[in-house]
Amino acid sequence: MERSIVVVAEHTQGRLTPVTYEAMACALEIQRIQPARIVTVVVGEDAVEVAQEAIDACDQSVLAVKVPGLDSYNGEAYRWTLSHALCGLGASWICVPGTTQGFDFGPGLAVRLGASCLSNIERVFEQDGQPIFVRNLFNGKISAELSAAAPTLLIVQPGSFRWERHDIKGRSYVEVITVEWAPTHTRLLGFKSLYPVDSALRDALVIVSAGRGIERRENLELIHRVASLFPRSAVAGSRPLCDNQWLPYRLQVGQTGATVAPDLYMACGISGAQQHLAGMRGSKFIVAVNTDPEAAIFHEADVGVVEDLEVFLADLLEESARLTP
Amino acid sequence: MKILVCVKQAPPADAPIKIDQSQQWVSVYGHALPQMGKYDEYAVEQAIIIKEQVPGTTVDAITNGPAEWATVLRRALGMGVDHGIQALTLEGGYASALKTVSCIALAVRARSYDLILTGVMSEDLAQGLVGPMLAETLSFSCVTSCVSLRVDESRNCVYAERDIEGGRRQLVELALPALVTMQSSTNRPRYPSLSNIMRANSQELEVITVESSEDAVSCEKLLRLSSPQKTRSAVFLQGSSKDKARELLSILRKRSVLH
Ligand SMILES: Cc1cc2nc3c(=O)[nH]c(=O)nc-3n(C[C@H](O)[C@H](O)[C@H](O)COP(=O)(O)OP(=O)(O)OC[C@H]3O[C@@H](n4cnc5c(N)ncnc54)[C@H](O)[C@@H]3O)c2cc1C
Repeated sequence: MERSIVVVAEHTQGRLTPVTYEAMACALEIQRIQPARIVTVVVGEDAVEVAQEAIDACDQSVLAVKVPGLDSYNGEAYRWTLSHALCGLGASWICVPGTTQGFDFGPGLAVRLGASCLSNIERVFEQDGQPIFVRNLFNGKISAELSAAAPTLLIVQPGSFRWERHDIKGRSYVEVITVEWAPTHTRLLGFKSLYPVDSALRDALVIVSAGRGIERRENLELIHRVASLFPRSAVAGSRPLCDNQWLPYRLQVGQTGATVAPDLYMACGISGAQQHLAGMRGSKFIVAVNTDPEAAIFHEADVGVVEDLEVFLADLLEESARLTP
Repeated sequence: MKILVCVKQAPPADAPIKIDQSQQWVSVYGHALPQMGKYDEYAVEQAIIIKEQVPGTTVDAITNGPAEWATVLRRALGMGVDHGIQALTLEGGYASALKTVSCIALAVRARSYDLILTGVMSEDLAQGLVGPMLAETLSFSCVTSCVSLRVDESRNCVYAERDIEGGRRQLVELALPALVTMQSSTNRPRYPSLSNIMRANSQELEVITVESSEDAVSCEKLLRLSSPQKTRSAVFLQGSSKDKARELLSILRKRSVLH
């Protein structure tokens, strides 16, 4: 059977999500190492319409798995329909976007397909004709190179692969299959929107962001005072601060919070977990304050300050007051 | 209702670590004590909450790792878990999820749990794989990344809130037996109580050895560990804290973010 590299598309409201393109970019890198046909698979009630967008973007084949009634993501539906749809494709590598959705159905799908599963893939390179997959461990402090035997399902780290639009040579086509599916074990009851992204975060030119390193709730006061040095600034934080109820969830930056891109992002006592980076990586200038010189946040920062934030932020306020008459 | 929680040990997020000589694992230096994974603590907390709400509930905890990991089982017992199971592995270090899953599945298959809880991911490997792969292996229904759970015994189901992107939550009803992975939330994990700690210290752990049925071929291989590539190269400010403060102010003025 002809081998293939499969990309499972993620889509919402009729559009492919940006991480789908990143998963396609990952597939292209694997294809360069191990030539194979790339097939993008779209699952859902509106699979055919969404598949059109995939076709317009690339010269690959697209499989639209139309599932009547499946109007939003259901893990059981994805595992079931994909394990059937992928059967005939001879998939060596299956690339899944590393979102909460990809992590929900991907690992189970791998087991169903008898494939191994690797997550958080951020780079692929070649060694002796084989793809080697790179991911990070220990909260971004260590990088690991892994080899795996096909078939393997790869959960692709958001923000790691760059999709570049290229000329379409017109070899692409959509194949449509319709799969009847009814829930047996997992029923969706709906969605809850907890916190619309704070407009203060969206509009801020400067964000001063606090992490678990602030240690005490009272230290938020320091963060607020530093923020007030800047015009059009806002205070935000990492997830643990919101879990502690020190900050409302609408001020959480990251994968499951807000995505921000201010002129300046000042990360205070934030370690730089992938899920946090996902929300602030696009900032124009990043300053990180952390006691741990190995913290992953420094890999993403323009300026690094290795200090206890309580001491350093107090000094910053003092020096600023001294310099501004 | 029979609940199982899967827990493991990991160094804390800010523990200083370095790659060891084998280039296959790391050593933790300084005095950072390894502890139960943060998300595993949320899973234990959720199990205890259910135990308090649903009469007749028993909660077991299992860990698949080296002998030292007994400490996380003791911690779980201290939080209120009834029984600890240690599925021993000989070596620590990198563990393929496939292997861990096959060991846990072998150990628990015959024990007919109604609900299995795990953390959404561990803090060292952060794979996020063991929970959902275990569910599939045991043919349990599964939902990941949940912040709250409610059991309805009469309907033989659980209601879960999945935390997803964009500040949204998906509400899901799952038939039992089910496996749910727990995300951090405002349900702050409790500290072990004194009476539970005393019980935990005197209680025997059930120690079992299971051989993974996964052959080495199907598992991925860890080739090498290294320092990560940097996306931006941070300029580290030098001198005293005050020197650094002055320099940062000057950098920010030059960039016109500060006037
Ligand atoms: C599915 C999923 C989604 C997630 N979504 C998000 C998200 O949207 N946003 C988010 O933020 N996280 C998210 N997380 C959690 C994420 O993985 C991390 O756990 C979290 O970002 C860590 O927050 P932190 O950096 O504040 O804390 P830690 O990782 O604990 O880091 C604290 C840092 O503070 C430093 N520090 C300690 N004391 C001091 C001091 N006195 N001075 C200076 N520095 C100090 C330490 O060296 C350490 O680096 C998600 C996780 C999962 C599994």
